[in-house]
Amino acid sequence: MKLPVFFRNRMTEFSLSVIFIIGFLALVATSNGVFLSRASLQGFLTYLAVPITIGLAQMVVLCIGQMNLAVGTMGGVSCAIMAVLMADHNLPIWLAIFIGLFSATAIGAINGALVVLTQLNGFIITLGTYTILLGFQYRLVKTFTIDKYPSSLPEFGKRNFVGFPYILVIALLTAIALSLFFSRTIMGRRILATGGNPIAARLSGVSNNKSIFIAHTLSGLLIGVASVITISSLPGINRSIGGDWLLASFAAPIIGGVLMSGGTIAIYGTVIAAGVVRLVDIARAQYSLDPSIVSLSVGVVTLSTVALSEWRRRRTERQNEGIKGSP
Amino acid sequence: MKLKKILNDQRVVLTLLTIGLFIFFGLRNSAFFNVDFVIYPLLRDGATLTVIGLAQLCVLSIGHLNLAVGRMAAVSALVAGASYQYWGLTLVQGAILGVLAGALLGAITGWIIVKSQVNAFIVTLAMDFALLGLVTFIYVTFTGATAAFTTKPAGMDYWRSKSLKDFCVAGICGPKSIPMMLLPAIICLILVSFMFSRTRLGRELLSTGSNLRAAKLSGIPVENRVMTAHIFSGTLAGIGGLMLAYANGSFTAAIGSQVMLPSFLGPVLGGTLLAGGAVAVLGTFIGTMMTLVIRQGLSVQGIGLETLNIALGLVLLLALSVGQIQKMFTSIKLRGKK
Repeated sequence: MKLPVFFRNRMTEFSLSVIFIIGFLALVATSNGVFLSRASLQGFLTYLAVPITIGLAQMVVLCIGQMNLAVGTMGGVSCAIMAVLMADHNLPIWLAIFIGLFSATAIGAINGALVVLTQLNGFIITLGTYTILLGFQYRLVKTFTIDKYPSSLPEFGKRNFVGFPYILVIALLTAIALSLFFSRTIMGRRILATGGNPIAARLSGVSNNKSIFIAHTLSGLLIGVASVITISSLPGINRSIGGDWLLASFAAPIIGGVLMSGGTIAIYGTVIAAGVVRLVDIARAQYSLDPSIVSLSVGVVTLSTVALSEWRRRRTERQNEGIKGSP
Repeated sequence: MKLKKILNDQRVVLTLLTIGLFIFFGLRNSAFFNVDFVIYPLLRDGATLTVIGLAQLCVLSIGHLNLAVGRMAAVSALVAGASYQYWGLTLVQGAILGVLAGALLGAITGWIIVKSQVNAFIVTLAMDFALLGLVTFIYVTFTGATAAFTTKPAGMDYWRSKSLKDFCVAGICGPKSIPMMLLPAIICLILVSFMFSRTRLGRELLSTGSNLRAAKLSGIPVENRVMTAHIFSGTLAGIGGLMLAYANGSFTAAIGSQVMLPSFLGPVLGGTLLAGGAVAVLGTFIGTMMTLVIRQGLSVQGIGLETLNIALGLVLLLALSVGQIQKMFTSIKLRGKK
């Protein structure tokens, strides 16, 4: 059977979309239509925005063949900064949001600079910054829940356009902007080149150090967006924010078809995979299963996706060798 | 000249630094010299974390990482806990079963890495996620709301709370400050150190780590050595998990969730290269003790968890940068000679 090229290249995205639709319909059917009610649909969509943005934040770093272990605490710290500024220092919302975005971006830039300066794997550097930021997060929030910021922010989080929350619109617009960045700009192309083959990239005049720095900074900016979404979709900020982001941030891009070896991106795949994971979460709540079952299944699916994609890559390589070998 | 050579040894510097820090914290607050509340737990935690640091060191020796080290420890504790609770095994039988479970997990991880050729940290990260769910799921399914195996086999409290004071030979007893838990750690240290310095297997592991191609060309079965390193890592993680559980007093899913950073700190501070090919076995113990002295010292000063995290993260980043700066200076010197 020979599929058209369009489908062959988008097999992961296509099958994920089908899974998403089937899962959605199954949930509607088994809940006797309760899932379609405005309140539960809105809940589903509102809490989809954060997994999408943190998935994208991880994807940007994955595409240069590295990883960012600090996603959770970076988000936690910038949420804490925004909340403290608004609640204790009475800063206007726009300024607080700007500072929150800026601080997340700056932390990303520090990660990138450290990776470039030490020439060590991003994993170990972000493990270090993860720990430091966890300390800052605890110090900022202490054991309280900060909720004394202007109520217009959580109200914005609840606002929607015929059941379609604005914060999800923000997440989707971010995804579109990111997709334009990678497909239309020279810098985006260079980052992908670095991830695909650093030696080839350097020989064609790409500065790998610059790509690594930009990718980590961009990851920081996306985490900033995720924190803004978080602070406007939750009633208050405490020290647990970001604690469960790590697995989600890896699951969406990897299931969506991003290779952990770098050089690929899959923005639609990441978005739709985040949707599928969210459906699993809803299903768990509906059938009142234990939360650990979600991380077990997501972990197993992630592990097998990694193995499968690697197997496919090697098969393609073998086929290419076959082409080269035949006269 | 000789003194300069001694001072150049990273281990000596680290030991002096650790002792210096210890005295410094003690002088600031004399509660730090308390045997029961500070020194004994410090050495007990040091023993556990050293074994887990050695688990990390085994894979670092071939240039890999094991991000699932904490979760492998959790599985080992889970298996041992279940065997005490449901099958009524004795302390030793359950411990052997738990360590075997760790070794098996290490073997599976090594096998996946060798067969799929996927980067080790990706495989171990995915392994970590899968095991995290599995361990929590099993605890919740079998024990409900308590989420812990609480049956204590005979002799568990002995390891948990006894010290060399209770271990007498011909009427002479050891000091009260040395926990029994230090014994398995010392045995592990001696065995691992012996393996890397005296046996062919250890040298093969190190040469696999320093240059995979060269190792392959000189006839070392590198794929087997990758498996070996991960099996050792799983085994030591298993031993570490049991020690954590014994020190903790019950078997829960939280065991091993806090060890990822310390497992790197010990070996890296001691002088183990992340890139592979060089290990510092004794250095792992000293590095672990130094981080614990900093942690404990700060907390005795009444400094909270948040500052501890900041300090430990900074220590890791500094330790890594120091190696890099050293390398930079060496290359400048070499260039100057040319």
